[in-house]
Amino acid sequence: MNTRSHRSRQAALLALNVVLALIILVPFFWMVSVSLKPAAEPFSIPARLWPENPTFDNYITAFRPEFRTYFMNSVIVSLSTVIITVSLALLAAYAFTRTHVRLLIIAMTLVIVTQMFPASAIIIPIYKMMKGANLLNTYTSLILAYVTVTLPVAIWMLRGFMANLPLTLEEAAAIDGAGPFRTFFEIIVPLCRPGIVATAVFVLIVTWQEFLFALSFTSTKEMRTLPVGVNDFIGQYGIRYGELMASSVMISMPVVAVFFFLQRQFVAGLTAGAVKG
Amino acid sequence: MSHRERWMAWIFVAPALLLVGALMYYPMIGTIIESLYSTSFINPVPKFQGLAAYYKILADPIFGQVVWNSLIWTVFVVALQNVFGLLVALLLNQQMPGQGLMRSLVLLPWVLPGVVAAILWRFMYDPQLGLVNSLLISLGLIDHGTAWLAETSTAMGSIIMAAVWKGFPFSAIVYLAALQTVDQEQVEAAKIDGAGATRRLFDVVLPGIKDVIAINLLLTTILTFNYFDIIWVMTNGGPQNATAIFPTQIYELGFGQFRFGEAAVYGVFSILVLALLIMVYFGVLSRGRHRGKAS
Repeated sequence: MNTRSHRSRQAALLALNVVLALIILVPFFWMVSVSLKPAAEPFSIPARLWPENPTFDNYITAFRPEFRTYFMNSVIVSLSTVIITVSLALLAAYAFTRTHVRLLIIAMTLVIVTQMFPASAIIIPIYKMMKGANLLNTYTSLILAYVTVTLPVAIWMLRGFMANLPLTLEEAAAIDGAGPFRTFFEIIVPLCRPGIVATAVFVLIVTWQEFLFALSFTSTKEMRTLPVGVNDFIGQYGIRYGELMASSVMISMPVVAVFFFLQRQFVAGLTAGAVKG
Repeated sequence: MSHRERWMAWIFVAPALLLVGALMYYPMIGTIIESLYSTSFINPVPKFQGLAAYYKILADPIFGQVVWNSLIWTVFVVALQNVFGLLVALLLNQQMPGQGLMRSLVLLPWVLPGVVAAILWRFMYDPQLGLVNSLLISLGLIDHGTAWLAETSTAMGSIIMAAVWKGFPFSAIVYLAALQTVDQEQVEAAKIDGAGATRRLFDVVLPGIKDVIAINLLLTTILTFNYFDIIWVMTNGGPQNATAIFPTQIYELGFGQFRFGEAAVYGVFSILVLALLIMVYFGVLSRGRHRGKAS
């Protein structure tokens, strides 16, 4: 290949990558920068990207007792949802990939389609059901709703992994006299580890940011999750952007951290199904 | 398959079937029933009213506006997100140093919680303090700050841009994975035949990922039509309903004004739209499968 054209091509690609990085990172940088600006310092007009006297004051103010409550609520609801969804999805995906029962395949297809259902269109009846069961403003109502909305995608992602596992292992286990439950727990689940990680990260990202159900089902500060809680801050304290941005950084941190640690498995799991169809 | 194994399979899927049946399909019927009853803040006991709520809503100019807004919102977010996503995927598919870092960086906006993205962009668009106005002023494009989210003419465009920023990474990663499955021998063969980069893209690469593009377009259409958090946090559907789409209108009528019946009518219409899209989705999917088997 011609070296000069190769070089100019590399330079052009680099330039495009820089533009892309700026589009992605400038809003993030701005969020962090504003969160570090002293609250008393008036915002300069036009806005300046770099904080001149960085301070953690906004973080200390934003980490008020309500915020801690919201954070704990989000942790409880999200972790419960991840554990329940992944467990139920493993069971369902396993039966789904190994069965030849036609009715069961149809039933599971109907389950998977619901990942495309509009939550807003069914929120009122679900709200009334929760109200009737006296579950409004409880963790249970949120966990039930979140498990239901994340299950279809989770089953779909895990199915992709399980379909690729060779049947011979299970046949060998059956010859050794292992029942379906033992085969499932001792052979299938350990082999699905990468799929489980990808699915768990996906469910966590979805649940951590869920807004509509949390907004409708929770009515007191004690039960709010982070997304709803931080949205309340806008009205309660006037628009104090320094604190809002500090809260935003703190809300994003857990999912961004999990994502960066586990992104390789996550991206593989996410795209496997999408590309195979 | 033995009788016992058949039973085991049903036991394994039972929890998923029960939950999805009770909290997805049953409420869908519930929405249709709800739309035939009238409830309000003053009259909390549901009263049967037949199709009265449908007549009322169809006669209301706001309904037309919500339909139009939903159309504009969905078409532009989907188109921009997919075109931009595909371009980014093509870029990230090139061999060059630092590409690994870019591939992980690109998903950041998608990982960011929706409400956080909405608050961040609300701030970006702030007339006095926002970065968007500061940037445009310093470039000399405008001479004073615009209240992007408070003007009926600019609010929709502004939230579309925020949603595209949040959504393009997902399309980019799906397309990137698809591009890596394109047969390199065919690309090389086209190169030897003298096809330039543009010809190779349109004649070899894009046809190779056609099915993925079709499916991703439909999936993003469905997700975009269902969007709630970014719009609700940025504009509440305002100003003057300029950014009201189906989900925000349902929430506003149901939980803002306790007009559950009218909210349910909007719910029924959005179920119909989604049912149509889901049918198209399965049509495309099965067509892709048949082609896959034939080749």
